[in-house]
Amino acid sequence: MREYLPFLVIGLASGSIYAIAAMGLVVTYKTSGVFNFAHGAVGMIATFIFYSLRVDAGVPTWLAAALAILVVAPAIGVVIDRLLLRRLRGAAASSYVVVSLGLLVGLQYLAIVIYGPATRSVEPIFSRSTFRLPGVNVGYDQAIIVAISLAAALLLAAFFRATRLGIQTRAVVDDADLTELMGTSSARVTTFSWMLGCSFAALAGVLLSPFLGIDAVLLTLLVIKAFGAAAVGRLVSLPRTYVGAIGIGVGEALLTKWVAARPGLAGLPTSLSFIVLFAVLVFSRKGSFAELTTQAARAAGGVRARLVQARARRFPARLLAVTVTVAVLLPLRLDGSRLLTATSTLAFVLVFASLGLLVGLSRQVSLCHAVFVVFGATTLSHFQDAGIPYLLALLLAGLVLVPVGALVAIPAIRLSGLFLALATFGFGVLAQYLIFGTKFAFGTKALRTLTRPELLGISFTGDKAFYYFVLAVVVAGVLAIEVVRVTRLGRLLRALADSPTATESVGVNPTASRVIVFCLTAFLAAVAGGLLGSLTQVVNPTSFDFSQSLFWIAVLVTAGPATLGGAILSAVLLVTVPAVFTARAVTQWQPVAFGVLAIALAQAPNGLAGFWRVPDFSALARASAWRRRTAGSRRAERAAARRAVPAAAAAETTMAGVGG
Amino acid sequence: MSAVLEVRGLQAGYGRSEVLHGVDLKVPPGAAVALLGSNGAGKTTLLKTIAGLVPARGGEILLQGRPVERRPANARARAGLCLIPEGRGIFRRLTVRENLTMQVGRRHLNGCLDKATGRFPKLGQRMDQVAGTLSGGEQQMLALARALVTDPVVVMADELSVGLAPVVVDEIFEALEVLEAEGRSLLLVEQYVERAVGIADYVYILQKGEIVFVGEPSQCASGVVFARYLGASA
Repeated sequence: MREYLPFLVIGLASGSIYAIAAMGLVVTYKTSGVFNFAHGAVGMIATFIFYSLRVDAGVPTWLAAALAILVVAPAIGVVIDRLLLRRLRGAAASSYVVVSLGLLVGLQYLAIVIYGPATRSVEPIFSRSTFRLPGVNVGYDQAIIVAISLAAALLLAAFFRATRLGIQTRAVVDDADLTELMGTSSARVTTFSWMLGCSFAALAGVLLSPFLGIDAVLLTLLVIKAFGAAAVGRLVSLPRTYVGAIGIGVGEALLTKWVAARPGLAGLPTSLSFIVLFAVLVFSRKGSFAELTTQAARAAGGVRARLVQARARRFPARLLAVTVTVAVLLPLRLDGSRLLTATSTLAFVLVFASLGLLVGLSRQVSLCHAVFVVFGATTLSHFQDAGIPYLLALLLAGLVLVPVGALVAIPAIRLSGLFLALATFGFGVLAQYLIFGTKFAFGTKALRTLTRPELLGISFTGDKAFYYFVLAVVVAGVLAIEVVRVTRLGRLLRALADSPTATESVGVNPTASRVIVFCLTAFLAAVAGGLLGSLTQVVNPTSFDFSQSLFWIAVLVTAGPATLGGAILSAVLLVTVPAVFTARAVTQWQPVAFGVLAIALAQAPNGLAGFWRVPDFSALARASAWRRRTAGSRRAERAAARRAVPAAAAAETTMAGVGG
Repeated sequence: MSAVLEVRGLQAGYGRSEVLHGVDLKVPPGAAVALLGSNGAGKTTLLKTIAGLVPARGGEILLQGRPVERRPANARARAGLCLIPEGRGIFRRLTVRENLTMQVGRRHLNGCLDKATGRFPKLGQRMDQVAGTLSGGEQQMLALARALVTDPVVVMADELSVGLAPVVVDEIFEALEVLEAEGRSLLLVEQYVERAVGIADYVYILQKGEIVFVGEPSQCASGVVFARYLGASA
């Protein structure tokens, strides 16, 4: 038992840092109703600035830390609150999720542009010497970190009990409207909570940096471990969050020792936080996670019904015809690497179109899309090894992922908006850590090879032939998606996105449609993954890690999640643009641009594709002169249209009136 | 007569639908105004728009002669406009003391607590209790006391007496009369029409977002007005 003691000490220290990050997250979420996915990214940026000040500018360590934590981080908080979030008032929870995801993507790639992708090591901040407790040596730095964390928790508790601003913050959490009526600006209090939350993220980042160095991805991920702890506190309770963070830290450290002799479980310690996150969200009683966003939005700006009309109700026959014609003709002009880029773009159209089923059609933000894609590729590889013919293997690879999709749909049935995004995020990370290394995915070689198809004696192994094979599969997949959009299932999903309550009240069981859409998404994403794998003929665990799932959301929201045009544009922007314009400025800033644009377009249901207006000839004909002569019939038409304005929305308004 | 609170041509609504179509209303200094109307007439929306919780889309709101329709709710509250909203107008998860003192500087702390407990001695015994655990009547008293400590010019109360025992309703109305006696103006939305009219100096009736009747309580005595605008039951 004694050999576990040093790990207990390590766990207490890392748990204390998680606690700092998690408490910041909870304070901000409670007060503003917005869950900050970019919490880790904010901490990472502040830590980089701490590093720059300390190393490049030669500022004393304490001053550099103070500037990063007390000046830079709060400033970032003010910008997030005032510039990014205030204009979203009254928006759906998923819009807030998208904005903070865009921020995460933007900040992370911005840091890579500025500081490069390499990890930098950081000189220790506190003394590394140790003192002796019974049975174990403890570092002074570890003791100091535990003390700082405890002090932060106690100060926070005192702040909420004894200061006027603290009491006002609790008042805003309780009822933002009423706080306004008492003469306190709830906007000011909310901004302060963002400053406080970002400072805590920065403190966590700075304290972590000497142990692990700084790099844009790793540090973001480490602070994100706070999500698990925050989930233990149901995102609202600070004491529970603190205990949860310490528990996760200690659990991680002890597991590290325990799995040392069990290499198959090597991913377990790192994924503990995400297991906790997923498990808490999926297994807690229904209703224990109530969405704060909508309440806060209602309080902030009154109910502003936004009747967003997604332009995807008709079958896009013209767009499909034009695109397919262009795609068929393209190989006449392209060869070599350009043809490979074109093939990859095609496969990505299916990746984005299948993601669009969730994000655009049923407005459920799922953050584990890359998992489907990767498992599609590895499963196809396994079936090929077993000697199954290509087309059947591809189909089977898709089908194998259907139950996985159903598994992810479990949280989707019970959770909405933010909590679904969090649960799928947890699932994505833990699938990567726990399953990628096993024989079901990459195995210990961390590599899978795939071959290209040979059908009915025709070989599709050549680049040009394989291009046409991919085109055929992608068109089939896209057709399936477009058919879903215009049939009953699509209508149901749109209605569920609008108002689950109203949809259920007309006798529709939402469970079946939600499970089906996740299964379909998983199937198609897996097929797309199989195609991508066959294209490169080799896949490894870094091809599509979980952060790709977040990145794809930013891309899809930028281009337009609700239409086929958006999916095509997504693939072109992501794959084709950096391949054609190879200037460093383009390739480096492209991901940053996706982050920024996702923030800007979070509320535009059709993204950039929505700005592309094809003249609607039938509408023009309807509005033409000879119709105008019969003004009476037009008036009747308009009245009918007004009556048909989503009954769902009306029902919700009524219900809100009753509840309020 | 210069009004403490004057509303001219006020328009407001939610989303695409407009609820108030140009409302005019005056609350003279030290007077009590009863605002009546059937369900969905727009009474609550009117009070919320005046307080700043619902944005005004047109028209003017004058508080002591100064236009306030562009200022945020918290600024209007500090200028002396107080709304006790529908339901329980208290912070349920804060203690009674915190409810009363959240807006007050340390210097005025004791004075304001004395004022509140002087009016409602019951609250004095429950200073450190979480407000959500008080009885319904006590919660409403706390809401009134909370309104008092901000020292408002106009008190707007939205259905204060909903769901309370008749004895408690008596206490609430006594407290309202004291407020009026102190020289504050009142704008009341009430389900107990007769009681509201009993303490009111003026009566406004709102119907489908428009004021359809303005008069003094004596004009309502016959019941003809109520029968016409509120239905026979009133």
